[in-house]
Amino acid sequence: MRLPDRFNWVVMLTSVSALTAMLLTGCMALGQKAESLHSALAAGQVGNALAIAEKEDVDKKDVLASMNKGMLRRMKGDYQGSNRILEVAKGQIETLYGVSVSEQAGALMVNDTLRSYVGDRYEQVLLHAFMAMNYLQLDDIDAARVEMLQAGVKMQEWGEEPEEDPFVRYLSGIIYEVLGEKDQALVSYRMAKNVYKATIDKHKLGVPAVLKNDLLRVLSEQGSVDELAMLKKEFNIKKFQAETSGKDSGELIVLVNSGLAPLRQEASIVANTGGEVVDTVKISVPKYTPPKQRYAVRLTTGQNLSADLELVEDVDALARAALDDDMPVIMSRAIARAVVKHKTQSQVEEKRGAMMGFLATALNVATERADTRSWTTLPQTIQLTRVKLPAGVHKVNIEIYNAAGTLVDTLVKTVQVKSGKSVFLAEHWVAPNMALNVVADKK
Amino acid sequence: MPKFGFRHFIKVLLVLGMVAGMAACKPTVTREDPNLVKDLSGKWNDTDSRKVSEEMIQDVLSQAWLGKFNTKNGRVPTVIVGTVRNLSHEHINTQTFISDIRRALINSGEVGFVASSDERGEIRSERKDQDLNASEATRKEMGNEEGADFMLKGTINTIIDAIEGEQVRFYQIDLTLIDLSSNRMVWAGQQKIKKSIERSGIRL
Repeated sequence: MRLPDRFNWVVMLTSVSALTAMLLTGCMALGQKAESLHSALAAGQVGNALAIAEKEDVDKKDVLASMNKGMLRRMKGDYQGSNRILEVAKGQIETLYGVSVSEQAGALMVNDTLRSYVGDRYEQVLLHAFMAMNYLQLDDIDAARVEMLQAGVKMQEWGEEPEEDPFVRYLSGIIYEVLGEKDQALVSYRMAKNVYKATIDKHKLGVPAVLKNDLLRVLSEQGSVDELAMLKKEFNIKKFQAETSGKDSGELIVLVNSGLAPLRQEASIVANTGGEVVDTVKISVPKYTPPKQRYAVRLTTGQNLSADLELVEDVDALARAALDDDMPVIMSRAIARAVVKHKTQSQVEEKRGAMMGFLATALNVATERADTRSWTTLPQTIQLTRVKLPAGVHKVNIEIYNAAGTLVDTLVKTVQVKSGKSVFLAEHWVAPNMALNVVADKK
Repeated sequence: MPKFGFRHFIKVLLVLGMVAGMAACKPTVTREDPNLVKDLSGKWNDTDSRKVSEEMIQDVLSQAWLGKFNTKNGRVPTVIVGTVRNLSHEHINTQTFISDIRRALINSGEVGFVASSDERGEIRSERKDQDLNASEATRKEMGNEEGADFMLKGTINTIIDAIEGEQVRFYQIDLTLIDLSSNRMVWAGQQKIKKSIERSGIRL
């Protein structure tokens, strides 16, 4: 063992600790940011969470920061602001298309967080869905249609049904139907049904009853008798009577995004491959925390009408399935990285001595971090119902129930239902008292 | 395999840091000729908007409806702009080419325009205000609006075919001029634009 001279030792030690500090701040900030947003939201403090998020990424380069800002602005009811920043995220995702050579090299030498974040596929299509929901809240249904078309192109690029998002197809169908494009709606409803069936493992959802009803209704309106009979058999529905809007009634379509998507955490193993200090390698990969409780949503109106919303998108399950799908690649990258890091450690020891070998090992272990980034301000679930209401102004209650069946919150909304038309409510609820906090924030 | 020592590692990190530092420089601004064709993302852009409006204007002014109206009524027709629905895959601002078309038609002297339904509300409220506050001599009376003879309506549609890394975008813009008294379509203009976009699967 040859000790390096004093000067070299000091310079190296300084640079190593500076680098470690630099990289660690970056890594820890990632996890802390997501957690602080989550805890503020869990306490119903949307305003606080938004204030935290707005301070980040001022030059709007980071896709994840923009996606979080978009979702939080939406939660606060700033739908235009939400769409502005989500459009920025969309543009950044386009710019970051393709595999980056330098980032891949960084991921192989340091850790996966050096790769630009562009969102998982389910996140990329939900980006369009949330922009569409914002446009629906702004009563700009043509613009919502544009978003759904863009999501359609994206899914078309990816190929076959298992890669598609059934809810996004379903929402497209609803938008087409509301715009009077029944044939287009039928195509989307059919696709949605097929994707719900094809992705049952991933989404943990069958074909929602509300979609079955929509599909049968449009088929009967279009006079497709054969397909109607076939689907009634498939859905095991004996008698189907489409509920039509009466002369003075319209439709209320309620979408409720409740809860929060799961947080990714780091799981690490430290192993020693040969007995020496420089043979120490660490492998870190992301994992999910156990699922949180789910909320049930019920819509009640003054007309003694009460309708339970139905689960149409389980974002929690999607996030977990996406990580499971990516795990083999993440794992092989982590192993390759461990090999590269081990090689550097041994070479440094060989050339510069044991102390430098030890420092290189410490640096490599410290910088080995899992990529725990994901769009955690997404809701846990998306639920939907469609009800017929007499034309006029209605006060409706959106009641949120916890897993024990206790009413935990009520959102009171006023809607104007027009005869023969459909009106949307695309609401967001993350925690009890959120409604109160949002009102308080506005003061 | 070449040896990759700790020194190299530090050097790489330093170079990466310098590259990151350079990215934070001032933006460069260059003024461009508005007629310059510059395709960046392949999406609908100013060139498309201009091309569509120029060709639509030429077409609408050269067709028979104009002469027929003049002969029959002895005056130029009055047109109102209805909605141009965006049924495409992109958030397209239809106002830019609608205003191009409107400007060209008004300036040609062959067609007159009346304010659209959005604009009318503001003008009517101003007249109402004049009724109360303006002098007798300058006050404009209600009920003197000129009714339009034709309405200009249309749609923008797209068909996109895509696979990973490659897209073909086809835009079709349809404008129609509808006789407000008979619902007859007197002119139908159509423009098509096709673009092929390839994206590299690898970046730096």
